[in-house]
Amino acid sequence: MTTAALPSGIERATDRIGSTARPYSNPYLAGIGLGLVLLAAFVVMGRGLGASGAFASAAAAASVTAAPDVARESEFFARYLSPRGKPQLDWLLVELIGVTLGGFVSALLAGRLRRAVERGPRITDAARLRLAFGGGTIMGLGALLARGCTSGQALTGGALLSVGSWLFIGAAFAAAYATAPLLRRAWT
Amino acid sequence: MPLFEYGFFGAGSALLVALAVGFAFGWFLERSGMGSANKLAGQFYLRDLTVFKVMFSAIVTAMLGVFWLGWSGALDISRIYVPETFIAPQLVGGVIFGVGFAIAGLCPGTSCVSAATGRIDGLAVILGMFAGILLTGLAFSRLAVFYESTSRGVFTLPELLGVSYGLVVLGIVVLAVAGFHGAGWIESRTNRNA
Amino acid sequence: MRNAERSRRVHRILAAIALGLGSLAVVAGSPRRETNARIDVEQLARIVESEDDHVTALELAEWIKEGRPNLRIVDVRDSASYESYHLPRAERIALRELSTARFGKSETIVLYSDGGAHAAQGWVFLRALGFERVYFLRGGVLEWLDEVMNPVVSEAIADSAKADRAAEISRYFGGVPRSSASVPADATPVRRRGC
Repeated sequence: MTTAALPSGIERATDRIGSTARPYSNPYLAGIGLGLVLLAAFVVMGRGLGASGAFASAAAAASVTAAPDVARESEFFARYLSPRGKPQLDWLLVELIGVTLGGFVSALLAGRLRRAVERGPRITDAARLRLAFGGGTIMGLGALLARGCTSGQALTGGALLSVGSWLFIGAAFAAAYATAPLLRRAWT
Repeated sequence: MPLFEYGFFGAGSALLVALAVGFAFGWFLERSGMGSANKLAGQFYLRDLTVFKVMFSAIVTAMLGVFWLGWSGALDISRIYVPETFIAPQLVGGVIFGVGFAIAGLCPGTSCVSAATGRIDGLAVILGMFAGILLTGLAFSRLAVFYESTSRGVFTLPELLGVSYGLVVLGIVVLAVAGFHGAGWIESRTNRNA
Repeated sequence: MRNAERSRRVHRILAAIALGLGSLAVVAGSPRRETNARIDVEQLARIVESEDDHVTALELAEWIKEGRPNLRIVDVRDSASYESYHLPRAERIALRELSTARFGKSETIVLYSDGGAHAAQGWVFLRALGFERVYFLRGGVLEWLDEVMNPVVSEAIADSAKADRAAEISRYFGGVPRSSASVPADATPVRRRGC
């Protein structure tokens, strides 16, 4: 699947395989939509979002089920477990389930559901999947240290003007741009 | 407002809210193509700066919303949980996260959208993230000191810069709008040369 | 390229709105609610000296028993302490949440803690925020337990009416009065290290 960027900023999603995929919406309008959703979270719940937090509570639950003694030792997981060491149904986890559903329905209605491996033309599916897994693992470490990811720190903390969140944004973008040249083979 | 803080509804309804908020979030992410690793990666090769446009229009929208709802008294912003600042872990964590992001092409939220639309690489990123957090969580005792270091508590840009909240808001809006303008220009240059 | 034109126009409008709202923000003032807290030391000192700042456990017990209107009893301790024991009809509000808690100006607020110190500090905070009908429980939970729930009711006391009243109040709250015969004369009450 390739995307062609037109100077005015309108993106078109063209699918070589030939299904009728609708073009992506205006990024600014979508961004405003996201911002309003985040604002709604602030207004209704008094808190923002945070995908990596959901992963953390899932990991806490998994570790408790698989290796309870080790899990209880970890001060990090302790936060996500009840006082008696049981996994709790976390707001962020339910929110992330919602994200998955929302993404699915949007793609379904736009004809963009497709089983595929997205990658650049120069690497294989297998290599791409290995990079995806590895990159994910690294992001896990980074998100844990920074106490968040793009939704938790960048969007939520950014909108609330938290210094640490803006530092995170700067550091993450800079590091990504610095790493990208080494990965040209994967994407271009 | 925030309604939950004032006890307007309980924990069960809060989870319904979570589902609804998440659904809308996932919807807009997918609509703008943020569920596509190829598209996200385009940001780092300057051919498709949608990530920047989406992220910063979201930040600006929420930021302006918080300011004006707070100013009007409709929202008590002191009741909103602001993430605390830990300078070193967030800088280092940010760098590590950025590296992982460039490699994976998706972030935690967008990986779920990607997987939901059938992309297997999205699933791989989810599994990787899960593994990464699990392993780091288990080895946490070695990181605990660093993790808790350089804490500044709730520390906002107006406090850091010693200026008013409104001035920071304007500053970010100006930077964002200038960035959007620049983004369009960069994209056309990159794609003309491609 | 009409689509491009239209979207350029939309973008320009959005940018203008954002810049407009941002510019207004500079002159609009603070988005935070103003919490004006002022401590008038002289006034507060006078109230403290006239003992109008606190209530004794027995006084509070009478207020609860009489059904004093608009009475709010606030436990400023941590949730574990609150869960393990709290005064009847007490609600838990941590000290730092006092500034954002909603109290009516006509309500009578009684703060309490384990020994009274934290509650006394909370008293200063609420008075600084402008609330006038604020008191703290002098000896805290410890005094409540000692004088209301399990008071020593001396059989040989000169003022037997007072002893009867103490016993009656104790039973009202489900406590158990102790007779002085069962308490050794030199017994000192065990004071937990609490605030």
